[in-house]
Amino acid sequence: MEAIITCRGIAKSYYRGALEIPVLQGLDLEIPRGGYYALMGPSGSGKTTLLNLIAGIDRPTGGSLEVCGYQLNDLDDDELAGWRALHMGFIFQNYNLVPVLSAFENVELPLLLTTMGRRERRERVMEALGLVNLLDRTGNYPRQLSGGQEQRVAIARAIVTEPEILVADEPTGALDAKNAEEVMALLEHLNQALGKTILLVTHDPKAAHHARVQIHLEKGVLEKTIEVNRPGPA
Amino acid sequence: MKYLHLIWRSLLRSRRRTLLTVLSLGVSVFLVATLQSILGTLDGFAHNPDSANRMVVRHKTSITNVLPFRYGDWLRQQPEVEAVMGLQWFGGIYQDQRNFFANFAVEPEYLVPMFKEEVRGVTEAQVRDFVRDRTGCVVGQALADKFGWKLGTVVPLQGTIFPFTPRLTIRAIFRGKRTADEMALYFPYKHLEESIPRMKGKVGTFWVRVRSADDVPRLIERIDHHFSDALEPTYSETENAFQLEFLKMLGDYATMIHTITAAVLAAILIVTASTMAMTIRERTTEIAVFRAMGFTGRQVLGLLMAEGVLLSAMGGLAGIGLALVTAGAVRGNIGTSIPWLSDFQLQPATLLFCLQATLAVGVLSTFIPAYQAVRRPIVEGLRSL
Repeated sequence: MEAIITCRGIAKSYYRGALEIPVLQGLDLEIPRGGYYALMGPSGSGKTTLLNLIAGIDRPTGGSLEVCGYQLNDLDDDELAGWRALHMGFIFQNYNLVPVLSAFENVELPLLLTTMGRRERRERVMEALGLVNLLDRTGNYPRQLSGGQEQRVAIARAIVTEPEILVADEPTGALDAKNAEEVMALLEHLNQALGKTILLVTHDPKAAHHARVQIHLEKGVLEKTIEVNRPGPA
Repeated sequence: MKYLHLIWRSLLRSRRRTLLTVLSLGVSVFLVATLQSILGTLDGFAHNPDSANRMVVRHKTSITNVLPFRYGDWLRQQPEVEAVMGLQWFGGIYQDQRNFFANFAVEPEYLVPMFKEEVRGVTEAQVRDFVRDRTGCVVGQALADKFGWKLGTVVPLQGTIFPFTPRLTIRAIFRGKRTADEMALYFPYKHLEESIPRMKGKVGTFWVRVRSADDVPRLIERIDHHFSDALEPTYSETENAFQLEFLKMLGDYATMIHTITAAVLAAILIVTASTMAMTIRERTTEIAVFRAMGFTGRQVLGLLMAEGVLLSAMGGLAGIGLALVTAGAVRGNIGTSIPWLSDFQLQPATLLFCLQATLAVGVLSTFIPAYQAVRRPIVEGLRSL
């Protein structure tokens, strides 16, 4: 299957003064379109850093990165922002909804960057909120929603622009077991029914079990890749 | 326009903080608008177009020295001169020191020809009565209204410069172009001269009306040259220059007002900068999320700047509104003790300056924290929860 994400010799180091701290060390990875991958590993293994690089919110210090047909190294900051708006949907551990906006307005936010008119934006927002089963909470503010509902609003915000890839950093980290299961089921549905490529960072083996492939990182290198035996596209 | 809703909601994130900032901005702008308009109103007296062809001749040494009355005869012989009137500041008090208003001893027959623009609406008969009655007086309508005076009312004026208390009967009530012009009382010079022996044949100033304003500089030079070797040399100047000198007796009010304005602007800059720095710092993660979603650094900077400018504009408009509402109170209260301010009005140029200043405060106070926020790497912002 065609690769939507191709990492070649990806390296990333941080600097503390003159001291170089390598986080990723020449990592090679290919993720096919429609894949559902979980990045796992202990703290400091580089999984969130890899996710950030693939999502285009950080830049590698070495290697090349091709995502959705674009060499991310070649894009400047504004081009990269435009690229993220089109191709990437973000789901965060703490939801990161804007507290002064309603669920509807939060989901509408990424659409403000498009040329869509008000009516079209409304249709798209309602469609996204329908997918996460929150049509009865459109006017609610984040403080009026449960954690699970907030994360579903965040997922609706991530998919409203119809990006090809969804990146999720510990999406169930702040949720109880029941809500975590609901969110994972929703992501699985987005992968299977809508064909979204999903890249998930998690410590939780239960959450990782929803993915088709588990990638284990250790000290910035790929340790092992495990295919989860479940029906559907890999 | 589609971002306006977002900007507005962000501004109301902490309603109490926004309200307090708007209030502090509003009070400051009110102060600046009022003080600058006071300055503009006072300046209006020193740049009165109606005074362009009038000048004042006084003693060269000081305004408290007097000139011989006969100087008036020579002045009247000058071909450019239309009218000459001896005028003495009386400085009398009516009932109470707080009831301050301008009162002058004048040559009554020249009052209307001299102040055609300021003393209007009196009949020839009333002028005749005023000229004939040495204990008569004319007062402005605003002054008459203030104390409930009518034609025929007797006004006792207790002298503060001269030791006598004339009891003056109102013979005419005039209207002026401005309220300040109507806050004056004039009585015949002869009455002062007869009551105060040292003033016999002497007067403080001569008011001179010239046919053409163009002749004023030449005439000033000629008068002062003519009396330069006299025992009482003269100093002549335009009425506007004379008014300005009088205003300077209030102190260097212009510097004082400009200093207060600068201090207030600096204070509101600090207050707004503090508010914006706080509100932006609290939203570090949110800003990172916006940028992750695809907002460019410039777009986020624009949103934050718009928020800062909107906050300042709200404060500015609140201050201007407050100044408009209280302008009447300034006229009614301060205007009674400083007659120049009885015509106090908010100057459009001042209001425009206040609006521009508050917008500048919005831009300056927001730019640095907003720029720092968008320069921060997205991953750092996401980590700073």
